Amino acid sequence: MATITAALTVNSDITDYGLQINNTMTMSKSGATTGLNRTSGLQRVYLTDRKHVDLLVGGSGTVADMTLTASAKVYIKYIESDTSKYVTIGLGNANNDVNLTQKANDSNGNFFELGRLYGDEWMIIPWSGTSATGDITVHPSVATSADKAIVEYIVFFED
Amino acid sequence: MATTTAAITLTSADLLTDALSLSATNTLYKAGTTVGLDQTTGMTKAYLTATQNIDIFPTLIEGSMAFAGKSSWVYVCNKSEDETEYATITISGNIIGKLYAGDYLWMPWSQSEDADSDNLHGDIELAPSVATGMWFEWCMINEGTEYPDAV
Repeated sequence: MATITAALTVNSDITDYGLQINNTMTMSKSGATTGLNRTSGLQRVYLTDRKHVDLLVGGSGTVADMTLTASAKVYIKYIESDTSKYVTIGLGNANNDVNLTQKANDSNGNFFELGRLYGDEWMIIPWSGTSATGDITVHPSVATSADKAIVEYIVFFED
Repeated sequence: MATTTAAITLTSADLLTDALSLSATNTLYKAGTTVGLDQTTGMTKAYLTATQNIDIFPTLIEGSMAFAGKSSWVYVCNKSEDETEYATITISGNIIGKLYAGDYLWMPWSQSEDADSDNLHGDIELAPSVATGMWFEWCMINEGTEYPDAV
């Protein structure tokens, strides 16, 4: 059994009283105290155009052995020093359109926008990886062969 | 200008042959700028006694704060200590994933408004797995909050 921890610290002077979050989670299998036992490893993806593409597909590629709808955690970071650039993170089926404007959607099986990671930002979320609406997609605001958008991710999951 | 920093350290000594350690830190800025986020909902602590799916930021107007390309960061934590209890987190009616006891998420939220009138919008929703009572915490740090008019 592996022990994987994620320690989050948020510090802010956004109010006169400050705001702090200090929390460490130990990643466990669904409904158990047994630790997650699989990982995609740290992956780095280079995007060379502004297509909206799948970054992760549940049960496929680097997470081929994952149990869908079980416990999984995804960490994603946009490697970019320019804070005016961003990648849009979505869930659902990417259709590889260029310069696509993403819109919220329901259970039609299409994609919907989760949020944007601006330069140097990162996120960590649970992930069900369900089919049709569960792919994690990425859509860079700027990406060319000379100016690649670089995204790193790692998935922890149970088999 | 407020300064908000977020840091994470992912570690495991025994998942792989060699120890895993990954750390990242960033400052939270307004969208596309280097100006710090300046608004927050504050930290909510909630005790939920039904499995009904709920909006966790109900006072905010759809089509304004979250949907205008602005930057918002969301923290949600399942404070249950029972490993069998979880919360299903959805957005726009679609499942992101499940937060088991002690789990949290930290994610951006800047969803575009839906173009189709019959579709759901970008509400972040939470559904406890049991109705026997579960504790949660959630918070948003953001820009551009608009509140609904009183009725």
